[in-house]
Amino acid sequence: MSGERFLGTEDLAGLVGDLLAAGTQVIAPAVAGTCASPAALASSACLRPGAAPELIQYLSIQDPALLALGRGMPSLSLKSFFLPQNEALLHWKQRGSAIELEPAPVERRRRVVLGAKPCDAAALEILDRVMRWDYVDELWVGRRDATAVFTLACPMEDDSCFCPAVGAAPDGTRGADGLLTPVDGGYLVEATTDRGRELLAAHADRLKDLDALSDGADLRDQAEAFRAAARERVAANLQIDAESVRAWIATHYDDPLLTALGVRCNGCGACSSVCPTCHCFDIVDEPDGVGCGTRRRCWDTCQTGKFTAHASGHNPREDQNVRFRQRINHKFSIYPLRFGEVLCTGCGRCTRVCHAGQDLVEILATIDVAARRGEPEPTAAGEGDAA
Amino acid sequence: MNLYGPQLATVVDLIDETTDTRTLRLELQDPVAREVFSFRAGQFGEYSVFGAGEAPFCIASPPTRPGAIECTFKLVGKVTTALREVNVGDTVGFRGPYGNWFPLDDWKGKNILFVAGGIGLAPVRCVIWNVLDRREEFAEVTIVYGARSVADLVYKRELEQWATRNDVTTVTTVDPGGETQDWAGRVGFVPTVLSQVAPSAADAVAVVCGPPVMIKFSFPVLDKLGFADDDVFTTLEMRMKCGVGKCGRCNIGPVYVCKDGPVFTAAQLKQLPAEY
Repeated sequence: MSGERFLGTEDLAGLVGDLLAAGTQVIAPAVAGTCASPAALASSACLRPGAAPELIQYLSIQDPALLALGRGMPSLSLKSFFLPQNEALLHWKQRGSAIELEPAPVERRRRVVLGAKPCDAAALEILDRVMRWDYVDELWVGRRDATAVFTLACPMEDDSCFCPAVGAAPDGTRGADGLLTPVDGGYLVEATTDRGRELLAAHADRLKDLDALSDGADLRDQAEAFRAAARERVAANLQIDAESVRAWIATHYDDPLLTALGVRCNGCGACSSVCPTCHCFDIVDEPDGVGCGTRRRCWDTCQTGKFTAHASGHNPREDQNVRFRQRINHKFSIYPLRFGEVLCTGCGRCTRVCHAGQDLVEILATIDVAARRGEPEPTAAGEGDAA
Repeated sequence: MNLYGPQLATVVDLIDETTDTRTLRLELQDPVAREVFSFRAGQFGEYSVFGAGEAPFCIASPPTRPGAIECTFKLVGKVTTALREVNVGDTVGFRGPYGNWFPLDDWKGKNILFVAGGIGLAPVRCVIWNVLDRREEFAEVTIVYGARSVADLVYKRELEQWATRNDVTTVTTVDPGGETQDWAGRVGFVPTVLSQVAPSAADAVAVVCGPPVMIKFSFPVLDKLGFADDDVFTTLEMRMKCGVGKCGRCNIGPVYVCKDGPVFTAAQLKQLPAEY
């Protein structure tokens, strides 16, 4: 990398303070509590050796002291900051037989995300495709346009991570405006977009030129070594040929392998909630009182039976294995075919959170084998459950 | 207003088609929107009752008769129950038009066969009037329509109008047991009657819409009559929310029904998994 500058730990805190003082919202990983249950531990990936059992979340922070960069995987992705779990689309008020509508505002206050996982930032760019497809979703785009994102090079969290297999990287800047890499005493920081460069220029007093530092070359080496080691570690988790996987799924809807892979799923939809790229939503009306109400969109999941159920009772996806197939199909075949991107960034959250033991690393590896061999290759787990 | 904000529309008329099926005639309240509103036969909209929510239905009136939007719905769920309760003068929401359309311009000079069952006549009715309003552009027009019983036939007055026209062949049928004593039409399921009517497939296209079981048994009849899969068109019903390719609800395999459909050929349907 070139153009990197040094941001000391104290200067990072100072930078956050400057941003907050200027009225910018700062979103960063922070400690939201402790992982007080085995499930919380598993889903937040904080079983990493040496990691404290903290519950890390992306939070809108008011105090630089709350920053917890590089302390593990936030258990939820950045998604809710761009596609809130539920949000008002409009408010309506009835006056006799007339209706008054008040739209939800699209303009957003400026925000900076510091220390995003590269997989979570990549998801934003991937979702830009659908949110800008023909009809522009102004609510999504408004938040995207108002938000600068700096990723933090990730050391890899655990064996559920597989970002390089789906086109992301532990030191990636897709969907982001720059990258931080941890080094002794702070971070090397580089902007990769105009928005990122403007942000760094506006806070140049917090940054030091590497050439001006006596250990500048060493810091550069440290950063590169950190990134290279992470890339190598995570690449070992899963290697697939994404195009073969896509083509195989598109031509094997009714393959027994997909049924076998789906039968373990019990349709709770947790995978969709924690997924940085799952974006299916519902639109519902809620009363706010008599004669007034709010039309909202809320996260939804293709994993529940109601998702596709017609009012008549007919349901195109009656069985859970078909609904699981839809999730795999949408992520690894439908979306790539339509938008040229896999709808997955390899963050591993769906695997960590699944109480039925569905492991996306295993599932993709299995499909990849089937795709390469041109024939189904049932897994031991899948066969056992199918029987 | 954002992408999901509807136009406000006034209910200017309501017609009870059957005991459980009603047509609402809507006029957009904004004069500019009303003026510029246009659509193609086969497109749909999201209709809403504030407080109950939105539901997608086809635009049942033809684009050749602008000024109002008609939707025909059957009382089955939450939104249709609320739509059933609105009166003339009330305000509802409308977003659209969305989706693709029947390629009428490609059908010029051809014979056109319409096959519909039950409330499936609603989207087909839009195309029928569109074709009849441009009658000179098309060759023979045949309508085969059926419902469970005489009481379940929708658009009864229009069925009579079509039946009395000498430039349209209209065959109306009811399922066995659904006839009344004075029923003058046919008795039999739509696919059976279709095979009896046996319209020629020569230089013809077919537009088919109805309950899944009717479509399932009509396709083989059309195939036997010689209709190519590319010349058989239908319109799919899927649960939808956004209508604009965002909410992910209406996927069937690689297809987004709201954007790539709702109009598909039989050839296209055969490429999709049976998730509709």
